[in-house]
Amino acid sequence: MAEGFDTESMLDVYLFENEQLLENLQEIVLEQKDEECFDEDSINEIFRTMHTIKGSSGIMMFDNITLVAHKLEDVFYYIRESHPEHVPHVELVEHVLNVADFISNEMERIKNGEAADTDPTEILDSVDKFLTAIKEGSGTPKEEIKENVYEAPKQLYIAPKSVNTSNFFRIYITFNPEIDMVNIHAYTTVFSLKDIAEDILYSPEDIISNEDSAKEILTNGFIILLQTKSTEEDLNQLIKVGYDILQVDIFPCTEQEFHQGFDLIGSEIRIDLDSSVEEIEAREEEKEASTPTTEEEQKVNQPEAPKKEDKPIAPGDFVIESKGAGKATKLAKDKPKKAEKTSFISVDVNKMDMLMDLIGELVISESVVLQNPDLQVPGLKLDNFNKAAAQMSKISTDLQNIIMSMRMVPLTNTFQKMNRIVFDVSRKLGKDVVFEMSGDTTEVDKNIIEHISDPLMHLVRNAIDHGIESNEEREAKGKTEKGKVTLSAKTEAGKVFISVKDNGGGLDRNKIMAKAKKQGILDPTKPESSYTDKEVYQFITLPGFSTNETVTEYSGRGVGMDVVVSNIQSIGGALEIESTPGEGSCMNLKIPLTLAIIDGIVMKVGNTSFVIETGIIKEFVSVRNNEIVRKPNGDEFVMIRGEGYPVLRIGERYHLGGSNTTTDESMLVMIEVEKEMVCLLVDSLIGKQGIVVKPIPKYLKKVKGLSGCTQLGDGSIALIIDAAGLLEQN
Amino acid sequence: MSDMETQKGKYVTFKSGNEYFGIKIEYVNEIIVFQEITEIPESEDYIKGLINLRGKIIPVIDVRLRFKQKPFEYNDRTCIIVITVDTNVVGLIVEKIAEVVEIQEENIIPSPTIGHSDKAHHTFVYAIGKIGDSVKLLLDPDKLLNDNDLSLIEQINEENKITNEE
Repeated sequence: MAEGFDTESMLDVYLFENEQLLENLQEIVLEQKDEECFDEDSINEIFRTMHTIKGSSGIMMFDNITLVAHKLEDVFYYIRESHPEHVPHVELVEHVLNVADFISNEMERIKNGEAADTDPTEILDSVDKFLTAIKEGSGTPKEEIKENVYEAPKQLYIAPKSVNTSNFFRIYITFNPEIDMVNIHAYTTVFSLKDIAEDILYSPEDIISNEDSAKEILTNGFIILLQTKSTEEDLNQLIKVGYDILQVDIFPCTEQEFHQGFDLIGSEIRIDLDSSVEEIEAREEEKEASTPTTEEEQKVNQPEAPKKEDKPIAPGDFVIESKGAGKATKLAKDKPKKAEKTSFISVDVNKMDMLMDLIGELVISESVVLQNPDLQVPGLKLDNFNKAAAQMSKISTDLQNIIMSMRMVPLTNTFQKMNRIVFDVSRKLGKDVVFEMSGDTTEVDKNIIEHISDPLMHLVRNAIDHGIESNEEREAKGKTEKGKVTLSAKTEAGKVFISVKDNGGGLDRNKIMAKAKKQGILDPTKPESSYTDKEVYQFITLPGFSTNETVTEYSGRGVGMDVVVSNIQSIGGALEIESTPGEGSCMNLKIPLTLAIIDGIVMKVGNTSFVIETGIIKEFVSVRNNEIVRKPNGDEFVMIRGEGYPVLRIGERYHLGGSNTTTDESMLVMIEVEKEMVCLLVDSLIGKQGIVVKPIPKYLKKVKGLSGCTQLGDGSIALIIDAAGLLEQN
Repeated sequence: MSDMETQKGKYVTFKSGNEYFGIKIEYVNEIIVFQEITEIPESEDYIKGLINLRGKIIPVIDVRLRFKQKPFEYNDRTCIIVITVDTNVVGLIVEKIAEVVEIQEENIIPSPTIGHSDKAHHTFVYAIGKIGDSVKLLLDPDKLLNDNDLSLIEQINEENKITNEE
């Protein structure tokens, strides 16, 4: 552990963890937004999330976040403890989301180096009002529930039955501030008591999961409440003053005192005495598991340990003092257990890039070794060498595949965000909208995800605002189904297809045509009826085009679809619109899987290698010199199957020496750029290859028509042709 | 001793034309043998192209051409000095690497010029280092890479124009 206090990295961890917590929170909330109420697990989870955020924000001294989180924690504490009958669920969902937004905003400010000082009064008030409302709404509470969360232990405590012969102790331990990870030492101490303990409580509670507890232990001391049949001397044997423990004070106490717990300091905790430190840590990380599993295991492992929740109890061991066990039925809707989460670590992207470079380098040096001229001596016996070489090639290919897959991220988070948008927008517009998604585990390169989030958000908003009709309208049309937005994703042939589909009114061809006419987009020489539906629908992606007469908060200003399209195009994707009048429309995005690796055809012009993305190449044509026709202005074209195509000589275009001037030996590569066909004249084709795109060093001026460079198998460099840029200048 | 201290006052020297030049050692990443260069179209003549430095693609410039001297034939003595200036990693093609020398502060004198000479040659050399009888021309790598001086002049001209018009 590093000496000194690195607040910078602490802040990073704080932001990262809380972001995850909030994301998780939103996921839970949105999953159950359409239920009547939250199930018990979710209430606990939300409560815990708020508790954690409150705690960590407190440490980082972000008071406003602490206040807001505490307020929401109060609400969920109340719900958890007194199970109020009438909780306006949707309102509750909104409050949770508002709080999550507030905290996200503050964290964003912290990230940008601003002070997190947004006034929390408004949000505090509204949550407060809500809390009062549900308290009143739930009828006269039979018992006044204390608001202070920290008194929880009193009400929850389950007393062991056979207590008469036990002794109770309150143990204060002062640790040596010189040692590292005091919290771990504290845990070790607790662990050493496990054999004799019938019941044990300690404070601070989260010594394993929370490293900051070490500080707390050092300032406030570590307190253990112990129920045991052993005597004080036994304890003295077990907890000795040593290099880590400076002082141990053991006070006998009464059973009552014991049951009061740490009134002043903090809440109680049940510990899982038979688990190792690692197990507990692991469990803490699996957030949702922490309540049910821990308790369950505890029950199995140590029947003496009291239970916090109203789980079934081994007969004869306990009576339950906690109230409300019967009321829990309404809340405890059985929720299918979530699939086990894969564990993740976050890695600096730069490191990943370095790894990728290194592996690329490895592959090249591998080919240098395996095709070494020294091996070409005739009559050399290389059987064993070749065997070993094949094995090595296999490993390096695997390595390459893995590093590529590491850059891939599932769309889940992006889709999850859309869920939130649907909720917000549909509530604001007063439309009943169901959100469905599929294929959210489809993996896409991280860079791509960053680029599609905004366009998707826009499309989803549009679908609700323009696509889906208001409830009345739907009724009038005789649509029985609820409004529905479906987001789906799939991979096919190296591309990702994402579609946003709604079951609303569909696009109105006539309306779009009329608008297009007004704006003068239509070609006057072309009859209106000759436009295909697809062409007409594409009009809505033009800048300044909106058929919505009224501007709403979400759409209608006519900015948007064009931005969506340009964003999608910037990553080499495309948007296609399908629509059936009366049944809804579907926006299909076609996006490359990754920006980092493309499939390309390598070709040579003079001494320079070029790469063109395979997708845009239509065909290769071998022509004779006399088939290329030169117009008087120097432009050239070629006739292929009766059609004329312009010809661009790459060698001339870039003034490359050594390129063939006669076409007899060279090749024409026909490419399609924005519906235009152009033939590029190159000297020779080398082959098809998956290439890793690298930027051209920024020291060099940007060359038109080149989008990057790459390293070929033999270590030489090839330039990647950006077809659109290449043609732009001409 | 830290890197900074060991590197202090040390220069990598190389021969270009008849002169010896020096670059502060802290700019220099490494010196590699000449390797094949991929041409970049539409760039200045002194930018020879790109090389692949262990997976990292970096531009290389020909120092002779940069000094507007006659080009030279690359041979097996030709080296590439890889330097880092700000975030740019660039290779300098030089005829021959000489040695790493230490030049004391007091032996470094400003580069003598006649009047307002603005020959390219002088803009790159910010000082002269004396070692015994010989002199090394000390290069400012920043100027070597960037056409700042040029663009600055243009900028000033532009500004003058604007003020004149007003």
